[in-house]
Formats: sequence, structure tokens, C-alpha cells
Amino acid sequence: MDRKDKKGTASVSDAATELSRRDFLEGTGAALVVAGTTPAIASAEGRAATATTPAQQAPPVPTTAITLTVNGTRRSVQVEDRWTLNELLRDHLGLTGSKIGCDRGECGACTVLLDGVPAYSCSTLAVWADGRSVQTVEGLESDGEISVLQQAFMDHNAPQCGFCTPGQLMSATALLERNPSPSAQQVRQALAGNLCRCSNYNAIVEAVMAAAGTSAPGGSI
Amino acid sequence: MKTLANRNARTLQEAVQLAQAARQAGQSVSFAGGGTDLLQLVKDRIPNRPGSGAPDVLVNLKTIPGMDAVAVGRGGALTVGGLVSLSALAADAWVRERFTAVAEAAESVGTPQIRNVGTVAGNLVQRPWCWYYRNGFPCYKAGGDRCFSAGGENQLHAIFGGGPSYIVHPSDLAPALVAMGASFRVVGPGGERTMPAADFFVLPRVDVEHENVLADDEVLASVEIPPPDAGTRSTYRKIMDREAWTHATVSAAVLLDMDGDVCREARIVLGGVAPVPWRVPEVERLLAGQRITPELASGVAATAVADARPLAKNAYKVPLTRGVIERTLMALAG
Amino acid sequence: MSPQQEAQIRPMDTVGRDTPRIDAYERVTGRAEYTRDITVPGMLYARVLRSPHPHARIRSIDTSRAEALPGVRAVITHETHQIVYGSGSIAGGRQYSDAAKDITVHKRYMFDNPVKHVGQPVAAVAATDRYIAEEALELIDIDWEELPFVLDVEEALQPDAPRIWPEGNLGLDARNEPRASGGVSGDPEAGFGAADRVFTDRYTTAFVQDAQMEPRSALAWWEGDKLVLHTPTQGISNCRHDNAKDLGLEDHQVQVICKYMGGGFGDKNGSYYFDLIAATLSKEADAPVLVELTRKDDWLGTHGRWHTVQDLEVGVTADGTVTAIRLQAHSGMGPYLRRSGGLSGINAYACPNVERTIYPVHTNRMVSGNFRGPSEPQGYFPIQSMMDGIAYELGMDPVDFALKNMLRPTDQIRFTNYTLDECIERGRDLFDWSSRWRPQPGSDPGPIKRGSGMSFMMFRAGIGASSAVLRVDAEGQYTLFVGVTDIGPGAKTTMAMLAAEELGVPLGRVDVVWGDTDRCPYSVGESGSRTTMMTGFAVIEAARDLKGQMAARGMPRGDDVLIASATPNPNTAGMRRMCFAAHFVEVEADVQLGHVRVTKYVAVHESGRILNPRPARDQIRGAAIQGIGQALHEELLYDPRNGQPLTAGYYGARHVTHLDVPEVEVTFVQTDDGYGPYGAKTVGEAGIILGPSAVANAIYNAIGVRMKSLPITRQRILEALA
Repeated sequence: MDRKDKKGTASVSDAATELSRRDFLEGTGAALVVAGTTPAIASAEGRAATATTPAQQAPPVPTTAITLTVNGTRRSVQVEDRWTLNELLRDHLGLTGSKIGCDRGECGACTVLLDGVPAYSCSTLAVWADGRSVQTVEGLESDGEISVLQQAFMDHNAPQCGFCTPGQLMSATALLERNPSPSAQQVRQALAGNLCRCSNYNAIVEAVMAAAGTSAPGGSI
Repeated sequence: MKTLANRNARTLQEAVQLAQAARQAGQSVSFAGGGTDLLQLVKDRIPNRPGSGAPDVLVNLKTIPGMDAVAVGRGGALTVGGLVSLSALAADAWVRERFTAVAEAAESVGTPQIRNVGTVAGNLVQRPWCWYYRNGFPCYKAGGDRCFSAGGENQLHAIFGGGPSYIVHPSDLAPALVAMGASFRVVGPGGERTMPAADFFVLPRVDVEHENVLADDEVLASVEIPPPDAGTRSTYRKIMDREAWTHATVSAAVLLDMDGDVCREARIVLGGVAPVPWRVPEVERLLAGQRITPELASGVAATAVADARPLAKNAYKVPLTRGVIERTLMALAG
Repeated sequence: MSPQQEAQIRPMDTVGRDTPRIDAYERVTGRAEYTRDITVPGMLYARVLRSPHPHARIRSIDTSRAEALPGVRAVITHETHQIVYGSGSIAGGRQYSDAAKDITVHKRYMFDNPVKHVGQPVAAVAATDRYIAEEALELIDIDWEELPFVLDVEEALQPDAPRIWPEGNLGLDARNEPRASGGVSGDPEAGFGAADRVFTDRYTTAFVQDAQMEPRSALAWWEGDKLVLHTPTQGISNCRHDNAKDLGLEDHQVQVICKYMGGGFGDKNGSYYFDLIAATLSKEADAPVLVELTRKDDWLGTHGRWHTVQDLEVGVTADGTVTAIRLQAHSGMGPYLRRSGGLSGINAYACPNVERTIYPVHTNRMVSGNFRGPSEPQGYFPIQSMMDGIAYELGMDPVDFALKNMLRPTDQIRFTNYTLDECIERGRDLFDWSSRWRPQPGSDPGPIKRGSGMSFMMFRAGIGASSAVLRVDAEGQYTLFVGVTDIGPGAKTTMAMLAAEELGVPLGRVDVVWGDTDRCPYSVGESGSRTTMMTGFAVIEAARDLKGQMAARGMPRGDDVLIASATPNPNTAGMRRMCFAAHFVEVEADVQLGHVRVTKYVAVHESGRILNPRPARDQIRGAAIQGIGQALHEELLYDPRNGQPLTAGYYGARHVTHLDVPEVEVTFVQTDDGYGPYGAKTVGEAGIILGPSAVANAIYNAIGVRMKSLPITRQRILEALA
């Protein structure tokens, strides 16, 4: 929800998005096929996979019930075995902060923390996250307060277009957890798996160093 | 992705049985370790085993307890479970100190995210990164009938051991483990077998479709590395097109067993230059019993590439390989 | 600059002060909604089928199996819909030339037959989920007639080359005539005659994909006869107009919304064919449709910087004065002439005798288009390399040669202001050129050698028309309506800062409404580095108008508002308005292993008054790093035997990571020439222009061998030194 919409100029898409993020399970699942343009609204936790008309029977898609912790909350979900963790997060749990940049483990935009370590959510299956914990960019804030690192990103202009930003934040968060005072080179090594095409690399490193309480040279104006 | 079914194995034997059962039911099946490379092949519908399409069944090995252990045995031999992550291997202090080339090789792979999930076995059995194979060309490695790099764009391809396929083996762990005399334990329908690491990998002229001896439904279960002699130092030097996230253009795993400043024994295994980790025994013989001087390093490096057979577009790999050997020897010899 | 001029460029109340970006919070919390983050009820997912062939005719296409797949709602092909994709060819888009688009004979369609490059779209499917859509693509049966293809720009102009168009492979201009661009100024023949030495050389530059992090998508649905379109565009106004035109609608029947987009480096200031695909599928399926391009789709199916082959001839006198320059170049445009194929760089030199012939050539590679400084880096690299080499030949320091030959104001050539010499001098000092430059290239002992190079430029900072609307309510809260999307430079923030400055109010009193054509006025769009200069100027004008209204009528009361709108169209009365820069680079080159590392990078820029220091600095730093990527890594390799691209994607193109990049040191020389918003000039594109040439000149200084082909890879260095 865009903060700037506080004056009530929310667009159609904002309202629809509110609805969809909470309740709506669409986009995958060959078995849930409906005739009209308004599909049945189903909860993210478990749904009946039924074909609605004989002509639209598809072979059943293998699914598995899993339980995982997402941003500190236990979630029980029925996942299709083929879903990547990224698809579970974005399409079914409404957590669209993690991005798809390439879906091939070549860019880092989908980086989440899997049991506390950075991983490409596009390159692991949801079903393999059973019993594990996942942290996304949405989980960096607590009680409505953003993290020191997020604030540092804002202060140091670390996002340009912002698309790589969630992934950079996750890798940097894990780094500062295990090494609260990294050198600039250590920051670069920890974030080596996060591309930024805007190439805002210098500012991102400065932001991480600032969050760590140390400072990086460079960037004279 | 095409629809697929995940089956969690609880033991290695069960994993093998699940694979066999799927195959007997007419399904295509793949073992899944970290899955970081496998999933990309699945998404692009590139066969992981020649002749197989996108897998119907994935047998998940991550649910087998004990596969991800690093253990030091009697006498200091290192046993590394196939599902040990690359980052765990790189971070292990014992590995770093005694089996340095292995730790450095593990650390050189991909990115932190890949290393956190990618496994030892996965790195060793990963399919080639030849751009023809990865772009879906119907080549030998995909079960087809030709090699497109032959007579084509072969800038990144083999200068040793190539033909009829000219891929280079993509694993960084492979040269390091061969150099350190590791042995691999394979588990499959026929039981268990163990072999020297060097024997795990196969040349295209022996088997053009596969890079290693794994049969259908076999799993690389663990790797054992004998304890190096005191006075052994090792390193893994990797040359890439950028500073991370890329396979080796040329790499060298070098192990020197030093007695003072005399090299008792040397082992050099090259990556990025051949379809298998490439040993250079004639160079190792020249180094045995010698002080490693700049002249000797330069000389043996030239010997190492003397019978290189570059292709039309990868001749630069010859001086590059020579340079890597010379520089790594000098740096390691101190 | 004089002390008085320096005094003028102190920070103002808001402008010139470090200001965090308005939407930084949304971007760091995952709240920013990019196109694929939006879900609407009943949304279908679409995939695009692409040509596997470089050149082929579709004899027949049978979609019956795809249509029969449960979950498939619509399938479209060139047979079902013949929709011109107007902005995809011949200077397309309203911002460039509507008239040119109208008359071109080389029309580009949403789906074309024959297809002319691997990756060109041929059909699309909308289904209830993306897996079904993917599967349906496999069920479309096409009978292909493969045609001969051509990939090489010089081969393509040979008489026996396979014809991509009936008229041949030389691009048509806006009058449908195959024509090279360029021209003659002065008297080149006389110039060469007057030279003591004439140098000739050939340079080549590779294709470079824009490769923004967000793979493209389009979400479309219809509300009656009105199209609502979410798409990652750099210009909502142009996008709306282009799509309306192609779909046979009026502008007001199309609403384009883009609040956040993941990177725009060119050629997104308008529509794209997947907007049309989404709109068409949505109409067919009577449901919202999200078209998602995979990264490979995006790589091969959009565009990148044109690759070139350039032959240069330069005449100099013994004292180092350039007397004549001749350029003959071939620019590889792909099968559709989306942009000009032009080349800049020679214009930075004072030499009055210039002949340029630039052939925009059609090939069966993917389409070329604009990428940040569309004609610049690949134009500057050859001529700056050549001049650098000539300096050494004459025994001159390249900096002295540059100062001697760069274009300066004359009686005929007037600038609104001019600081190129200052940029070069400052750079030389900051970089410590005299210590870092090796008078003898390649002279460092041992295999690891350092060297330094520099290059300089001037780049258009033109002003022109754009719009802004500004509103104030009874509480004294201002709302600024501007049609920007903020591709990364922080346009929303800059526009708000300009309004706040002109209004004399704190920044917090200004809200910005952006990214929606239903709510925002025309914007020239965020390309060509024009948003700050053109839309920004409109913001100031609107603020002045509003202040006038408030003065005349007092503040509004109750629910009343005051509104001012402005669409100024200023000009510089015949003077050139340019931004200036000099880049100084040091590299460390390992001649045994072929490795190159940039060890120091100093960028001195004059871009007028800097409105918001941090984002401006980061625009330069980021662009310079893109220049390094172009210099050392990026290209798209095709196999000439089969016309197939082999290195599409971030892995294949070896994009630079955190570990590959130096710290870029940026210094702004600030000025106010009396034009633009408070004297602000172009920033967005300026930083990329000199990367390849400065890096290449540094490599020469380090290794003593001139690298004439981009990218300068390890392989090429080792081959050059062998």
C-alpha cells in the first residue's frame, strides 16, 4: 500500500491487491479451473483441487503439505511439488518483496534467508523448505520499525530503481549478523551474488558500512 | 516447470529404490541435492541425464540424515558427505588448514547463495556449462549426435583430451580432490563401490554422453581424502572472466609436499582445460626432489602445455594455462 | 569559474541539499509495487512463443492443440491479429516522430511473418496459470520455411547478401530511402592534404543489452472500451499514445500506470509489443492478462546498444593539430530500424573538416535500440582511442593533446556555458596524472603493469517541452502531478524539491502524484536525460504561476483548491547547451594472465547546478560502472553457422558484480547558465559515455598494445600479446 495514497486516491489496482494478497490463490494449479473471469477465492492454507467441468480435467498435479516459518510466523501450506520457494512466497503468501530477476540463479534478486543464510529462492523448491525458516525483506522490520540496515540504505541512496534492493538487503543482513564490523571488501564478498544493473555498487557498500557503524571511503561530491 | 513429484528419501538405499521404482514405472527421475543447478536444467527442459526429458520425479537426498557431515577419521583422513554444502566445506577450519586446495576450490564456486545450498556431490556431478548444451542444442551431452563446439564457437572449450565432445569439466572441487588423492564412494542398485577420484571422471572418447561413471540410479555418497603428509601445502587458483559467479576459464589445483625448500612430491591438476580434471604427471615428475625456482616453474609450465591441442578459437588458453601453473607454483612454493 | 560564479552555486533552501528520495522507504521494505507484484482477480498468465530461427517464413501455424489444453483461454498469432507495433521501428514513439512512424514501409508488427531474428515473438497464450501457458506454447505447431540469414554488418551490404527486406539491408530513413547518415563539414580533402601524417584504423564495438534487473511484463485489462495497462515504462505519456495509436484508440481510452519499474536504460520511453500482446489477449479472453517475459525472452526480445564496425582516418600536423577526420561506420541494427544507429564522439573535437558516413545495417541479430547515451560510448571509444594513439605517436601527453584539439567556443559555435577545459584540468589534478601516467606505455617491469588513460566529452543538455500541474489546498498542502515513473535517478524527489524551492515551502508540504496517465499531465518521459531539465522546468513554471494566483486571490478556503499547469517550451536561442566531463582511469593489467582491474577512476562532470547531490553522484558512479562492463565484459555472441545467440543472460554476458568494480570518485563542477531549472543539466546519461574509452586508453598505457575491439576480454589481451 503506497504511503502517498493516504488521501484516498487509491487506484483500482491497490484495492485489488489488498484483496489478492490476503485471500487470493491464483496463478498456478491446473486443477482449479473456473468458467468466468472471477475465480473462487480460496485461502492460502489448503484448498480442494477439483476440476469443474469434465472437459477441463487435467491430470492431478503432485502436491505436498508442508510447514515452514516465514518471517517468524509458522505457516502450513499445501504446495505443488514443482513450485520454487520464490513462487510460494510471491504468488501464494503475498510476499512480493522478493523479486524474480532471472529465475535461473544468475542475478540474486530473489535472495531470501533460508535458516538464516542467503539463498536464491528461485533455485530451491518450496517443498524442500518444509520444517525450515525463511526470512524475506518484509521480515526485516519489527513492530513497524525498519532495521538499521534499511534506514542506512535510505540514507545512502542505496536503491536506484530498487529492484535488486530486497536481495542486497537480505545478503547484507546475514553478513552483519555474523560479522558486525565487516571491511568494505568483506561486504563486497558477501554481496557478490547480488547484481545491480543500475550499478549502484558503491552506494550499497557505503550503506552497509554505515549500518555497521564503520565508514567506507569514496564517493566524493 | 513441467509438473513433477518430489520424493523425500530417508536413507540412501531408499533413494536408490525410489529412483529405480520411478524408472520402472516409465518415469524420468533425477536425484536432487542442493538443486541449484538441477532446477535451471529442469526449467529450460535440458536433459540432466542424456535422453531424459524434464524429470517426472525428483528424489530428494537432503532428507537423508548424515549426508552432510564432515568427519575427521583415524589418522586424519577426511570424510565429506555428498550433501555437505560448499560454504560449510569452505568454512571448516580443519579443511582449510590441512586440505587447503579443497577449501579454496569450494570457496571459489559461484556466489554465497550458491555455496550455501549447493553441495559437494552436486558440484562434482554438475553437467557441462558449454553454451551449446545450456542453450538446448541437441548435442552429445543431451543425448544427441554431435558436438557443436567442434568447428564452432569453442573459445571456452578443451585444449586437452577433447573429442568427440570438447566440453571442459565445470567442477572446481574435482581438480582439488584429484590432486589430494581423494576417493569417491558411490551407492547404487548394485551396492557400494569406491574408486580413486581420477577414475570417477570419464573422457568423451570413452563415453561421450556422460562426464563420470555414475550409472542410472547411482548416487555419489561421500568423498574421502587421505591425510596429507606433514609439510604439504596446497592451493586452488581459479581464473574467471569476472571476479565471481563464473566457471573456470583455467584453474589449477596444486599440492606440494615440501621438505624444507625442496619439493618431495608435487601434484598438479588442471580445471577448465579438459573434459575431466587434467593431470600433468610429466610435470609432477620434473618437480619431484627439486627446489622450485622461477626457472623451474617456468620450464615445467611450458612442459605442461607442450602437447595441448587448442581448437580454432581457444589457443589463448595455452599461454594462460602455462602462466597459471608457473605463478601458482611460485606462490605456493613461497 | 570566477568567485562570483562559485558563489552562485551554493545550496539553495532545498535544491542542492542532500535529500533522501521520497519513495526510498517503499523500495527498502518490499512495498514498492512493480508490474509483476500486482495481482487482480481473474488474472490470466501469458507466455510468448518465440522464433527459434534467425530468418524464416511461417508456412502454417496450427494452434488447435494449444487451444484445447484445459486452462488455455486465448491464443493469438500473426494470423489472428495484424497489429502494427509502431514504436518498434523507424524513430517510433510520439516523442520522436509520429509522422515518420506513419509513413514507414518497414512496418513492424506485434507478430511478424517472416520472422527475422531468433527470439522474435510469433504467438502468445493466456491461461489460468503460467505452467499451462508454458505447456501450451509447446503445443503450437509451426511449419517453418528456413530462409538464408546474415549476421555480419559488412556482409549484409554485399549485393549477394540474403535480403531481410525487399529493399535490401540498408536502413530506410524517415522518407523510406535507404541512406547512410552523417555528412560533411568543412573540406576534408584539404584537411588531409594539410596534414603531416595521416592515421587509419579499424575499431569494433559489441552489442550490449540494457539488461535492467526487472524482466519486462505487461498487465492489461479492459473496462468497457478503455484499456488499463500496467507496464514498466520510462514514459507513461508516450506509452499511452503509442499503444492507443497501435490499437486504434484515442489517447484518453488508454490508461498507463507505472509507479515503480526496475530499471530503464533506454527505449522504454514508449510502448513495447508485449503491451499490445497483453491488451489483445485480454480482449480475447475477456479477463486481465499478465504477460511475463522470461529473462531470455527479455534479452533476445527487446533491444540493446548497436554494435559497430568503424573505419577512421585522422590527419594531424606535426605540432599535434587535427586537420581532418573521416569516419566510415556500419551500425548493426537488427532487422528493424528502431533507432538511428548514429555515432557521436567526433563532435567533441575542434577539427572543422569532418566527413562521416554511417550505415544503419539490417541483420538477423536481435534488434538494436537506445541504451543510455545511445550513440555515445560506442562512438567515443574509437575516436578517443585513435586520438590517444596519435598523441603517443607525436610524443605528446594525451591530456595536452586533448586540450589542444577539443572543441572550444568560437564565433560560430556558441555555448550557454563552457567548462570542458576545467573538467580536464581538475581531473588531471585529482587523479594525479603526472604520477600515474607512464610516458612509455607498457614500461612497468614484471607481468603486472599499471597504466593510466583519459577521455573527455560534451553531451547534449537540451531543453524543451514538458508539463506539470501543481495544486494547493486550504491547509497549504501542495500536490504536484508529473508524469514520471522514477527509473532510479529519483525524479519524483527532484521534482518535489524544485516545487518546494520555487514555492518557498519545506519539502514535506509537497506531495507528488506520478506514474498514472489518468492523473498526470504529459511528461516527455525519463529518457534522453530530460526529465530534470524539461519536466523540472515545467514544475518551476507551474509553481510561479501558482504563486501568482495565490498572490492575486489569496489562499483557497474550505474545499477549494488552486491549480496551475504549465507546459513551457523553452529554447536556448541558437546556443549549444552541453554538459561536459573528463574521466581518468588507472588499470592494473596482468600480461601473463590477461587480467585487467580498474584501480582508480576519477570522473569530473559539469552538469550545471546539481539539484540533489547523492542521487546525482550515484547516477555518474553507476553509469561509469556500466561503461566498465561494456569495456571489459559484455557482448552477445552468435554462432554464424546457425544464427543462434549463445551468451544471452547475466551469466553469459558476465555482468560485473560487487567484486568487479572500483570506487568511482565523482567531482561536480557546478554552474548556472541561466537555463533549465536553476541551471540544472543532464546527469543520467553523462556518466556512461567515457567508460570504455578511458579504460581502453589506460590499458594501452599499461601494456603498450592498442586494443581496438570491445569488449577487451582476457582472451583478446592474451591474443594481442602473443
